[in-house]
Amino acid sequence: MKILYSWLSDFLENPPAPEDLAAKLNRIGLKVEELHKTGSSFSGVCVGRIEKIDKHPNADKLALVDVHDGRATMRVVCGAKNIAVGQKIPFAKVGAMLAEGELKKAKIRGVESEGMICSADELGLDGYDNSGILVLPDTAEVGVDASMLFPKADYVLEIEMLPNLGYCLSHYAIAREISLFYGLKLKEVAAPAMKAEGQPVPVEIKVPDLCPRYGAIVLKGVRGARTPEWMAARLRAIGSNPKGNLLIDGSNYVMYELGQPTHCFDIAKLSGPKIIVRKALPGEMLKTLDNQALKLDPGMMVIADSSKPVALAGVMGGIDSSVSDDTDAILIESARFKPSTVRLASKAAGIKSESSYRFERGTDPELPLKAAARLAALILEAAPGAKVEQVSDNCPVKYEPPVIEVSPEKINAILGTGLADSVIYGCLKAFQPDLKDSKPWKFSVPAYRLELDSVNDVAEEVARYAGYDVIPAASNMPMRPSTVTPLWTVTTELRNTLAALGFSETYNYDFVSEKELKACALDAAAALELKNPLSSDYQYLRPTLLSGLLKTLRYNLNRGRESALIFEAGTAYARKEEGKAEEVYCAGLAYGPVPEGGSWQGGSAPADFYCLKGVMNRLFAGKSGFRYEKARKAPAYFQPGLCLEMKLGGNSAGYLGRLAPAVCAAADFKDNNIFYFEIPLSCLAVAGKTEFWQKIAKIKPVSAFPQNWRDLSVVLEERHEWADLERSFSGVQDLSSARLVDVYKGKNIPAGHRSLTIRFTFSSMEKTLNDADVGARMAAILDKLTKNFGAALRA
Amino acid sequence: MNATEWKEKLSAIRDSFSVCIAQPTAGDPEALEQRFLGRKGELALLLRDLKDIPLEERKPLGALGNTAKQEMEAKLAELKGSAPAAASAAAPGLDLTLPGQPFPKGSLHPLTHVMNRLAEGFLKLGFSMADGPLVEDDYHNFEALNFPQYHPARDMQDTFYVDAKDASGKFMLLRTHTSPVQIRAMEKAEPPLRVFHTGRVFRSEAVDASHSFAFHQIEGLYVDKGVSMADLKWTADAFMKDLFGSSVKTRFNPSYFPFVEPGAEVDMSCIFCKTGSRCPVCKGTGWIELMGAGMVHPNVLKGCKYDPEKWSGFAFGGGIERFAMLLYGISDMRMLYENDLRVLKQVQ
Repeated sequence: MKILYSWLSDFLENPPAPEDLAAKLNRIGLKVEELHKTGSSFSGVCVGRIEKIDKHPNADKLALVDVHDGRATMRVVCGAKNIAVGQKIPFAKVGAMLAEGELKKAKIRGVESEGMICSADELGLDGYDNSGILVLPDTAEVGVDASMLFPKADYVLEIEMLPNLGYCLSHYAIAREISLFYGLKLKEVAAPAMKAEGQPVPVEIKVPDLCPRYGAIVLKGVRGARTPEWMAARLRAIGSNPKGNLLIDGSNYVMYELGQPTHCFDIAKLSGPKIIVRKALPGEMLKTLDNQALKLDPGMMVIADSSKPVALAGVMGGIDSSVSDDTDAILIESARFKPSTVRLASKAAGIKSESSYRFERGTDPELPLKAAARLAALILEAAPGAKVEQVSDNCPVKYEPPVIEVSPEKINAILGTGLADSVIYGCLKAFQPDLKDSKPWKFSVPAYRLELDSVNDVAEEVARYAGYDVIPAASNMPMRPSTVTPLWTVTTELRNTLAALGFSETYNYDFVSEKELKACALDAAAALELKNPLSSDYQYLRPTLLSGLLKTLRYNLNRGRESALIFEAGTAYARKEEGKAEEVYCAGLAYGPVPEGGSWQGGSAPADFYCLKGVMNRLFAGKSGFRYEKARKAPAYFQPGLCLEMKLGGNSAGYLGRLAPAVCAAADFKDNNIFYFEIPLSCLAVAGKTEFWQKIAKIKPVSAFPQNWRDLSVVLEERHEWADLERSFSGVQDLSSARLVDVYKGKNIPAGHRSLTIRFTFSSMEKTLNDADVGARMAAILDKLTKNFGAALRA
Repeated sequence: MNATEWKEKLSAIRDSFSVCIAQPTAGDPEALEQRFLGRKGELALLLRDLKDIPLEERKPLGALGNTAKQEMEAKLAELKGSAPAAASAAAPGLDLTLPGQPFPKGSLHPLTHVMNRLAEGFLKLGFSMADGPLVEDDYHNFEALNFPQYHPARDMQDTFYVDAKDASGKFMLLRTHTSPVQIRAMEKAEPPLRVFHTGRVFRSEAVDASHSFAFHQIEGLYVDKGVSMADLKWTADAFMKDLFGSSVKTRFNPSYFPFVEPGAEVDMSCIFCKTGSRCPVCKGTGWIELMGAGMVHPNVLKGCKYDPEKWSGFAFGGGIERFAMLLYGISDMRMLYENDLRVLKQVQ
């Protein structure tokens, strides 16, 4: 909200200087986001006329200009391009006070200048064309003080208004805060009590719980009431656009001044003298001030005359009852409406107004008639023929201030302070001057602070009063053991391992488009959809991390990379009737040569299935029950037959494999060599299983005797899988490892066969194995291979 | 074999020895020794071949062979690390400036780094880790946090809704802050309670340099007997110092969040100010606003069946992206979600 310094100063004796004021407001929680100067503060500048322009003898870009100031003609040096003979311009004489300080006599390129033709910037004026000198309107009289042509110097404070600051939405209210917390004297608003001989305005409030108070003043003879310039200038300065009609501008002015929205009805346009506050009837319509035909909802509260709604209560008036320049008699409405009712109506109607903004946040129950009187007084001042005809103040529900019991101990306990009783009492007394000093203090909440309802609220006011800096940074919190979540433990382990293996962690957005889902061979119907997406690009919640990783891969390849090892640990979502809609995954992909760029000692190899499988082995190292299985129902984005499921005990631990060619093609990758894995972390994040001691494996003793190894090359049919061979070695005596060191197909190997070279390492806990021992074990192995797999020694 | 052939062979052996020994992968000097100088080594076999060469030519060749042998022995000794300094200085040696073998590193995301760091800090202070879903219900995200149904406070956070309903028939939403974790933690456990949480949140906002529809927050909650704003300030101060250095100062300013009362904004003294120019980070104020905090609102405690007469607590929250941007010197938040590997790999 914009606050004008001079306006605020109407209500404070000895107001602090603008910068000081801003600092003071900040410290009581009214954050000043911007403080800027408006209007003119220069002096010694008059309106001059350009008589003659000559070239500067020593500079191409400068001119010598003769300026007449009403009395004499002076010669000045000027560099602006937009000068012309006959122009009226702001002319600063030596000694003038400008934005940058005092203007001194100067010699410019050898020619003395007797003054300066000013630009808007040099005058310190905001919001004017600053491309050259400031050209004044032709109507300006030569010789007069130029500052008269501009609004006076002032400051605008832009204050951030948090939703709880309903009590700060006016100039008077901000002044009240300053006065309360800094002990400055508050000046009251000039709002004389209005008296009228006529009957009170007939007002019928059918919904007293929604409209606890309705003040009304009827004025006659207001025709032609124009907005005075001082008021228009103030409204302009805070960004409100004055219309010139005082009935409209005055109503706004009072709202910005006091915080109470008011509304003027043209009595001639109302049917009947009676005002009815009621709920809208089914089918009723209202054409609002902004000229839209609004279908009223029966939940909405309206102001009606005897035949029809004339305003959506607290939100906006109707155009058919609105004032115009011909209006002669008005009814000023100044009421209190239930905040939630106004908010609902404003939302349903799609109309946000300065009025609804204030009502939603709660208005001061004691303000309505005062604000109406203030508006009436402003109108009477400008329209001397006007007269107050009727005044009424309907208040079916009286405001009862809540009383909060406050003890200094409680306040200090909340704040962690040792504030003296006198400080706390001083604060309460600033709010409630007649507070009796007997503890616990009975703090009766001021009307304008309706939202205060607990001792915590009062504690905040005391902290604002004493300054938040009185709160010490001190604690004697007891020690407590802290615990981590299993999910965090496993996520951290996987992240660290992947990063150590060369993978970079990425953070992708959770939202995907239908197109992206399709590109990943996924059905949009199974995905959770946003009801209010920012755009169709972000319509669904990702069911897999794959789409984001593919996007990231593409992004990086487009920037000159040939390969990428990337991963993400994040949430994927699914539409589920029951159970969790979200699951945290760790997923990643490998693409292109690894390591990228290779080395001068040797090249790099393209990432392949086995590269990623090696990574999985590292991720699951030491996890008991880990194994691979042929994927039976892998996600559709994997290429069938080139995908393995990982298992931990009986549970799935995700998949790894090559992406389906269609998925690569849809993501515009020409080759089909993107290898991808995904692990649902719930399989690892099992409560109790991630504790430190659980993850520690007992260390096995190692042999004190030297180990022996032998290589064995066998040829066998390709249909026999390595995993089966490997399993068959279990039980061979003293065998400590069987490592595959070569797979060969081609020359000298029959079709449909392959040669495997396996290195067997033996180690005994009891003795050094001799050649005969090892030979016997190797023979047993070969025998198994021959019998089970038809393997033959490679020639 | 004649003398010329023999010399050529010797020279070939010397060349191949030089190549082998020059490679950083040369590795095992014993293996090289065996290959070139051993009983059946290449040089030994060549020397044995001398017997086929006429005696008069044999002598100078033998001398050549011996020189070569000594050279090789010296180089091998050097490789073994036992060569005399003089010999090592005289030898041509390796180009040690050649690049090392690449072990390309991966990287953790800057946001992960920051969240891990925060976790470390809070775990030390006795805060346990808490968790909660990203797809939340209205009750946990708003109602229980004292955001009444028709209160303008609801405008503070533009909310994404998803097309699934909660048990009460309201549309589920993407949590707009990490604060629902406070409620979930209190529902799960009796007081006293000291927990924190970091995670992703969502706001329906257009993406620009300082806004994103998805970002991360940290949340902390401590409920016990006699907890005060002073405990909160001490914790906030410890937190700031942990992240931004021990010279940092902390300041409170009044602020508003529906679920705390009194509420405070936590400012950190600006560590980026350089004398002589208006600091672009704190805009010359000397303070950087970093977190929201306050005493848990009695309504929130009541809603979680904690007796506010008996228990009091503080809560705080802050944006992880903001911390990361300050720490890593990033001026555009989008950089954190572009995943440019040239950027990510800089993170140590």
